[in-house]
Amino acid sequence: MGKQVDILQGTLDMLILKAVSLGRLHGYGILLRIQQISGDALQIPQGSLYPALYRLEHRGWIAAEWGESENKRKAKYYSLTAAGRKQLKSERQEWKRLAGAIAEVLEA
Amino acid sequence: MRLWRRGSRVAEEIASEMDSHMERYTADLIARGVEPGEAHRRARMEFGSTAAVAEECREAVGLRWPDEIARDLRYAARVLRKSPTFTAAAVATLALCIGANTAIFSVVDAVLLRPLPYPHPEQLFSVARHFQGKGAESYQTNVWGGLWEALRDHATYLDRAVFSDGSMGVNFASGGRVEYVKQQRVSAGFFRVLGITPRMGREFSVEEDRAGGPAVTVLSYALWQRVFHADPAIVGQAVTLRGEPYTIVGVLPEQFQSSVPADLWTPLRASRSGEGAGSNYAIVARLGSGATWAQANGQIESIGRPLMRQFGQDPATERLRLISFQRGLTYDLRRPLLILWAAVGLVLLIGCVNIAGLLLARAAGRTRELATRMALGSGRAALIRQLLAESVLLGLCGGAAGAALGWLGVRALKFLAQDSLNVWQTVELDWRVLAATAGASVLAGVLFGLYPAWVASRLEIRAALGEGGRGVAGGRNPWPRRVLVAGEVALGVVLLVGAGLLIRTFAYLRGLNPGFDARSVITAHLSLQDARYATGERVNRLFDQSLARIRELPGVESAAVALSLPYERALNSGFKRLDGRHVDTDYQITNMFYATPEVFRALRIPLLRGREFTAADNSAAAGVAIVSEAFVKMYLRGDDPLGRHLDLFGDDKREIVGVVGDIQQKSGWGEDLGPLAPMPDLYIPAAQTDGKAFQLLHTWMTPSWIVRTTGPAEGVIPGMQRALASVDPQLPFAGFQGMEDVRYRALAPERLQAALLGALAGLALLLSAVGIYGLIANSVTERSRELGIRMALGATVPQAMRAVALPGVLLALAGVVVGSVLAGFAARLLRHLVWGVRPGDPLTFCAVGFGLLAVAAAASFLPTLRVTRLSAAETLRQE
Repeated sequence: MGKQVDILQGTLDMLILKAVSLGRLHGYGILLRIQQISGDALQIPQGSLYPALYRLEHRGWIAAEWGESENKRKAKYYSLTAAGRKQLKSERQEWKRLAGAIAEVLEA
Repeated sequence: MRLWRRGSRVAEEIASEMDSHMERYTADLIARGVEPGEAHRRARMEFGSTAAVAEECREAVGLRWPDEIARDLRYAARVLRKSPTFTAAAVATLALCIGANTAIFSVVDAVLLRPLPYPHPEQLFSVARHFQGKGAESYQTNVWGGLWEALRDHATYLDRAVFSDGSMGVNFASGGRVEYVKQQRVSAGFFRVLGITPRMGREFSVEEDRAGGPAVTVLSYALWQRVFHADPAIVGQAVTLRGEPYTIVGVLPEQFQSSVPADLWTPLRASRSGEGAGSNYAIVARLGSGATWAQANGQIESIGRPLMRQFGQDPATERLRLISFQRGLTYDLRRPLLILWAAVGLVLLIGCVNIAGLLLARAAGRTRELATRMALGSGRAALIRQLLAESVLLGLCGGAAGAALGWLGVRALKFLAQDSLNVWQTVELDWRVLAATAGASVLAGVLFGLYPAWVASRLEIRAALGEGGRGVAGGRNPWPRRVLVAGEVALGVVLLVGAGLLIRTFAYLRGLNPGFDARSVITAHLSLQDARYATGERVNRLFDQSLARIRELPGVESAAVALSLPYERALNSGFKRLDGRHVDTDYQITNMFYATPEVFRALRIPLLRGREFTAADNSAAAGVAIVSEAFVKMYLRGDDPLGRHLDLFGDDKREIVGVVGDIQQKSGWGEDLGPLAPMPDLYIPAAQTDGKAFQLLHTWMTPSWIVRTTGPAEGVIPGMQRALASVDPQLPFAGFQGMEDVRYRALAPERLQAALLGALAGLALLLSAVGIYGLIANSVTERSRELGIRMALGATVPQAMRAVALPGVLLALAGVVVGSVLAGFAARLLRHLVWGVRPGDPLTFCAVGFGLLAVAAAASFLPTLRVTRLSAAETLRQE
């Protein structure tokens, strides 16, 4: 397990959008997916995930539906909407621009 | 409602989602080899507070507010139900305060705020004379004929009309039916300016509004319904009005409200002479489209300037001004109503302060509850919100009860004020008033809740929970509540002083020597604005014959006719002094009456010098007059009044033959005279009054028959009616009233003001007393342990009682001092309503101060009686 980083304020939304863009997931699954993609480098405080999910759903970027989980229990599944896909794209570009700019400053 | 339901569904979803999250995480942890108990613990810890997360989620979807408000209100209702005594006290206090506010506001709204019931009322104006004196300004809406003519011809920015701002009773006959109806006189175009189109027919034309024009009348909807049974062919029919045939030209719409009670309208026929020589008209104007108030006002000001000088007014202090029509109509009511409004506002404020005090005391008892909730993670803001929800709920309950009381209050006010408030817009509890009441309730809730909530939420959790409700001296800071109680007393002083001054004014006015004997005198008036009574001879024959028959009635001691009665507003007339120390070139003003000889005996007005009128003072004899003592003081100082000569009406020379005592009258003119004053009076014999003068006087005034009886005065009423009918069957008496009633009614506005303000001040006193009582009672409870210990250590019961009660008296003292200063300022606002007593009247201030202190002392010592039941041994055992 590598060194863990606290995620930047405001990037959680982007990470959630990215996570659900790969397929529909329930809340805990999103948490696991992010940790998995980042190779356990990103630690999301568990409690802060849900307010972010509800916020994104309220904005129409992700859609939620109730379904059955692996262990036959009712679970709420999230998936990316068209608006969410657009948002993810623009956030990704913005992030790249920002990261590039910071990299240039640091390497100058 | 839908939002709430959605809120509870969302709450369930969040809970189930978080549960399943933690379940999976726990399972994962166990799978990784963590021991199950530890796994549960870690899952919970890492997730954090589910309540906080759920709240954040709801906030994220915009559900938090309705959710929380609903929850807060539910909780508040539960809390209030649990302490019924407190809730009942608070709701009762609020109900009284808000009820009073609702009732007064309904009148204020009807008179001052609600737009006039005419189209585009904001364009309607009165042309008023504006006086700018030393430090005081006032308006008068009465103008004279010359002024109206100048405005009619030159005020181009305004559509204007002139009217008589009173209505007069006249005799009305139609198809064998004789009635006394109210007539208002208005010019051509009056209804057009108001924006009223007649329901049928038309209003007066310019030709009809000229002297000698056709006699026409416009009927009110009510009269048309009542007398003519809504006859659709009424326009063009003839009726007999004032003894002459009049043609009906129009009927007004049902919803039309006139500013004075009126059944029908006749053309005013404004002129420069006669009636128009005095200020007997009022002007209504509508601002033309495209014109501004400033333009129109500037124009009438320049039109008015030369006319002021002509009329003997000083253009430097008096000018014409355009004021809103509503203000012009209600100018006299404005100040008393605003004062009353301020007074009920103060009472509400006192009520709020009182409940704030109660809430503070309750908060002290709830410290543990509040501390526990804060320890469990409730934020301070949430706590304040919760406490505010309680007070707003209280406010709303109080408001609902207050609206009910207000409804009763409006009915009571309408009954009480019928003699004194000429409120012509309907006073009722409509949505405007109810909205204001609801607003006041919520505002009151926030007002009395905010401070206690803020204080209550400022607690140290650890100390509050650790204290365990013990602590020798009660522990809490008593000052917030003390300041509130002192403030309440101070506001109470302001109200009590105001009420005291008005009550003293009323007592002064009622105590004035009437100058005559009102007992066993019955009076009746009737309209002589009648074509059949156009000559002096006809009028005097009516007087003589009817009086002769009335004198024959059993139980009648004496009988007379006079133009007006004591306590009424008399005719103002001009005169010149022709000889003696003062000789006039300009007219002087006096109250004037014509009267039949027996008038001084019938009213028992004492003759001081000279002689009364006799039957010999007739139209053939030399002109005579009798003046009052006040007349001599004002106009004949240093002269022997008897034998002096006066000129009335320009060509009427009279000799003063007698001086009589003063009587109280409504003072229509003169500086610094109260509502009632002994005015300068000039009496002339009815027999020496000519037809021209009678006709002029009878357009404004209804002469009164004055009958002194030996037995009960009401007994002669049927006899008087028969006596009159035997002389002229077409002439009905308009109404009978005992002279005592006239006197009673004359002071109706002052009585009402004093009674209302007195009641409000009484309420304020009660609230202050309750506030002090509550404070001391509370401190007895809080300090019972301390007092017990003190007594165990040798303090006597009186010493202990004094220790607890003293703060109450001291606080009241502080409140009285601060309140007296405030009342000093407030009393200046009352100076126009206070007579016979100075606004800084030391007696009123002292009585209020000491009275309040006495009440405060009683309210402080009463709860300390419980100290006598404290037992030192008992207290120590509890330790």
